Amino acid sequence: MTPLLALYRVLSRNLLSRGRLTLIGMLGVLSILVAFAINRGNDGDPGLDAGVTFVWFLGLGLVVPIISLVLASSSFGDLVEDETLVYLWHRPSPRWMLAVAAWASSTTVAIPATVIPLSVAGYIASGFDLKVFGASALAITVATAAYSSLFVFLGLLVRRALIWGLMYLFIWELFVARVGNGAATLSIITYPSSILASIADVELAQADRSVLTGILVPLIVSAIAMALTTWRLDNVDVA
Amino acid sequence: MTDLSIPQSSNGIAPVTASAPPAPAAWPPADATVVAYDVSKSFKGVVAVSNVSIAITPGVTGLLGPNGAGKSTLLRMLSGQIKPSSGSVWVAGGDPRSDAEARGRIGLVPQQDGVFEGEKAIDIVSLAATLSGLDQPTERAAHALGLVEMDPGLERPVGTFSKGMRQRVKIAQALVHDPIVLMMDEPLNGLDPKQRRQMIELFHGLGDAGKTVLVSSHVLDEVERFGSLVIVIAKGRLAAQGDFRAIRGLMDNQPLRVRIQCTAGRQLGAALVASGSVMGCRVDSDSLIEVTTNDIRQLRRELAPFARHYGGRLEEVIPLDDDLESVFRYLVGDR
Repeated sequence: MTPLLALYRVLSRNLLSRGRLTLIGMLGVLSILVAFAINRGNDGDPGLDAGVTFVWFLGLGLVVPIISLVLASSSFGDLVEDETLVYLWHRPSPRWMLAVAAWASSTTVAIPATVIPLSVAGYIASGFDLKVFGASALAITVATAAYSSLFVFLGLLVRRALIWGLMYLFIWELFVARVGNGAATLSIITYPSSILASIADVELAQADRSVLTGILVPLIVSAIAMALTTWRLDNVDVA
Repeated sequence: MTDLSIPQSSNGIAPVTASAPPAPAAWPPADATVVAYDVSKSFKGVVAVSNVSIAITPGVTGLLGPNGAGKSTLLRMLSGQIKPSSGSVWVAGGDPRSDAEARGRIGLVPQQDGVFEGEKAIDIVSLAATLSGLDQPTERAAHALGLVEMDPGLERPVGTFSKGMRQRVKIAQALVHDPIVLMMDEPLNGLDPKQRRQMIELFHGLGDAGKTVLVSSHVLDEVERFGSLVIVIAKGRLAAQGDFRAIRGLMDNQPLRVRIQCTAGRQLGAALVASGSVMGCRVDSDSLIEVTTNDIRQLRRELAPFARHYGGRLEEVIPLDDDLESVFRYLVGDR
């Protein structure tokens, strides 16, 4: 087993607590139930807009960032909390490897936990439109990867990363970023929303970037977050 | 004994050293594997460690100090876990904070209990071996667990282990890559007496094999059993380093108590007080006295002639303050 794989394995197993799995399962089930309610509320003909708006508002706006936050901030947050980070940190393997393993472990748990229920929910809410399903799957994947990288860094940067992360989400991503175009450029939600809007061909607020931009910018954000995490690992004091 | 003396630190407290301060060129010793030069660490303005300079050579060295003295902070700086506020650290060929190769030559047993609760012992130690770039990590892990007398085949997760078992897993993961330097923060916590004895034997074996073993503890009995080399930290400052018996010998200003059994004890005591070689004498019985002296050499010179003079026979002379506890009490008692 390579060091990267070994790190990925132990970090993934560490993430899968009963509490987190319950929260993820509940959010997934809730999303599908709400989607059914939307579907039935529109007499089985809710249309494309309802499905896309549902994925945009509930999925990209709440479920994706919250699941990403819970998982990714715990990648290092748990290790800092229970003081086990030192066992990984003190070994001679490169620090970037630790950062990438933390991101990969939280992302590979978060992506199925978000993409499957939310894409299915979007499909249901839109009256079983496959275009919504595909657009949702791509947008949610990109959003989960980008948010996870950001919250892995946050988990290493501050104690109580969950609270700081929620403040960031509700103040910046869900409020400020929806007010003006300038702020939207600096928020993650703009880019997966643009992917969703472009592919489904629906208009959403502050979601007017191309699909390519919608994929590239979150990838760049992820790379920068990984670089910052590596830098932080180089400079952090480990108990 | 290896000379561990250091240059005078700049904090105004003269550390007690086991020999006269060497010329600057002699420090650090050529075989030193751990060197800290004038390191200090503050946390939000509170000084935890102040201007400590030490050099540690192969063998077992006890890092001693009361709770809160700064032992763990110093050990964390030496292992690279925390960055000194000032000063520098060199361990096994580099700065362990920035030099991955140097870090790879250190085995670390941190103080905290936490290990990966859901993992098996063999997996934790095997992970350590993999991250150290070793081939056959599982075999190496099984060997390291064997060194601490643990069964590598245990299927239970570490979360179900007793404190002593966890402690041994922590030691095994520190040993798995055969490090040059082993740093352990209170490694005997939670071990039963038999396990403690086994671990101390293991540490001695590693020291004899040329490893540098630095063991922190606040339990004096433990440190005494690690060996005679100590580093004493008190209130964040270096109080002493070297062989604790030699340190005691240098503490001329501290009175020594000596128990003397002599068939003419009472007369002997009176004579010693009269001669000025002892400051005080307590007569426990006709043949047993306890004297307090500031001049052990004069006492040694006069003891036998005085006993002969009074027709007594010296049966036993025991220095009561020659143990580590006394040294420690003197060093940290007034700080």
